[in-house]
Amino acid sequence: MFFLAELDIDARGLSKSFGDLKAVDGITLEISRGECYGLLGPNGAGKTTAIRMIHGATRRGGGELRVLGFDGTTESCRAREEMGIVPQDDTLDNELTVYENMWVFANYFGISRHRSRERIEELLDFVQLREKWNEQIKTLSGGMKRRLLIARALIHRPRLLILDEPTTGLDPQARHLVWQRLRELKSGGLTILLTTHYMEEAAQLCDRIGVMDQGRILVEGPPTALVRERVGEEVIELRCAGRAWSAGALGELGLDIESAGDTHYIYCRDGAEAVRRLLEAGEEDFLRRPASLEDLFLRLTGRDLRE
Amino acid sequence: MINRDNLPSRRAVRVWLRHLIQYRSFYVAEWAGNFGEHALYLLAFGYGLGRLVPSINGVSYAQFIGPGLVVSIAMWTSTFESTYGAYNRMRIQKTYEAMMSTPLSLGDIVLGDLLWCGTRAVIGATLMMIVLGLFGLIGSPWALAVFPIIFIVGLMFGSLGLITAGLAPSFSFFSFHFSLVVMPMFFFAETFFPLKGLPLWMRAFSQMLPLTHAVKIVRGLILFGEVESLLWHFFVLAACTLVFMILAMISVSRRMVN
Repeated sequence: MFFLAELDIDARGLSKSFGDLKAVDGITLEISRGECYGLLGPNGAGKTTAIRMIHGATRRGGGELRVLGFDGTTESCRAREEMGIVPQDDTLDNELTVYENMWVFANYFGISRHRSRERIEELLDFVQLREKWNEQIKTLSGGMKRRLLIARALIHRPRLLILDEPTTGLDPQARHLVWQRLRELKSGGLTILLTTHYMEEAAQLCDRIGVMDQGRILVEGPPTALVRERVGEEVIELRCAGRAWSAGALGELGLDIESAGDTHYIYCRDGAEAVRRLLEAGEEDFLRRPASLEDLFLRLTGRDLRE
Repeated sequence: MINRDNLPSRRAVRVWLRHLIQYRSFYVAEWAGNFGEHALYLLAFGYGLGRLVPSINGVSYAQFIGPGLVVSIAMWTSTFESTYGAYNRMRIQKTYEAMMSTPLSLGDIVLGDLLWCGTRAVIGATLMMIVLGLFGLIGSPWALAVFPIIFIVGLMFGSLGLITAGLAPSFSFFSFHFSLVVMPMFFFAETFFPLKGLPLWMRAFSQMLPLTHAVKIVRGLILFGEVESLLWHFFVLAACTLVFMILAMISVSRRMVN
């Protein structure tokens, strides 16, 4: 997948401040053609600001940017001719029907009503909204709106799709439908950049992820490899509310242990030995499970709440 | 601040087309309402109040204010479209943001909005012109030439509205726009009374209002088919409009791209 050296997004030292706040603090993104890249991070990490700079909705504070081979400062309108953008907020035209939304958007790209008709029907089928074509936007559910936003962003057959939290607020059914569709698009060769704070989403879709916090990318790589490297293979969660536990039970295993509230997280390559010793020490209230992206995320960005 | 990537282009027509599509859903109700309202204005002021007013330079009061009403309707329509309407598109419905995720530049979006303001002004003024025609208050076939002037009035008040919309932190901010920009022109641009015989400062103030120049042109065309110092009035109107259009682009750019 990465043999194509061509970079669809080539951003170096991208930065942006709002007053004293450094929202994005010099990030570098190199996203190859056909790749699906996920920016993960807690609220306020700078994900949205970063991608808004890439599609030209927020002015760059600093850094170099080329998107689809076009200069990020002087040719961003040109680049957007081949870019599909699914924003975090609902930007559908509330005063128009589903079908009118699609063709008005096609018109923004200079596609005539006549030429867009077939494409619109195809896309409404793709996101399962065909039977809603004549409905007003206000009658649609959150999941339908999100699917329509995705269909709308594909109207001009873009080469690059940018999605800002594509499934936030959706129920599981709607979320899985969106993932299904995004995987289909990816296998069709589309380059995808998305932001999310759902670990499962990143694991399901992304070839590579970058974990972002406080405006910086902390680590970057394929999700499974990152988890193995930074967390390990297995995690044992030990709950001991209100009582001490004997860390000594684990002896000289040299394990990586993190404590938060009433829970101790034991990160290891192979949990078997640790489990045996815990049982010997009389600890029974624990959970042994494979390490996940969520462990990686929390280890890197901490467990404090972000508002 | 302004670079090649946010200057206006022909693509503004695509924005204008979106507004036209959206307008399809409510124009019937609007036309019916406006038609009645325009007729009422003319009856109340032209004939009701007009009974107390002697003829002005040989024309009746109804004849005098007819063209004034045409121009002020153009002003009001484009002002509403560019203040409440544009603020809604900018901040509430996020129509601008959707457009900004396409090849449209901010310049295209602003110009498209302004072309639409001009169009709405022409539509509003047309309804008033029909009412004037029905009351027999049109004195010259040159009256048809007012439409380009009305379109410019729409562009001008659309620009003024967008300047304010770009600065407005909330809807209530627009009351400043109405009391400081729109109302003075509504009353002192020779729309309702001639300035002859009024104190010098009032006449000077009126001359500084760009709407005064539009009223002079439109009144001349509708009543007599000729306009005194046409070129001068047109120059002031066009120059003001151009300056306001540029300021509108700057104001909206500052708001939308931060």
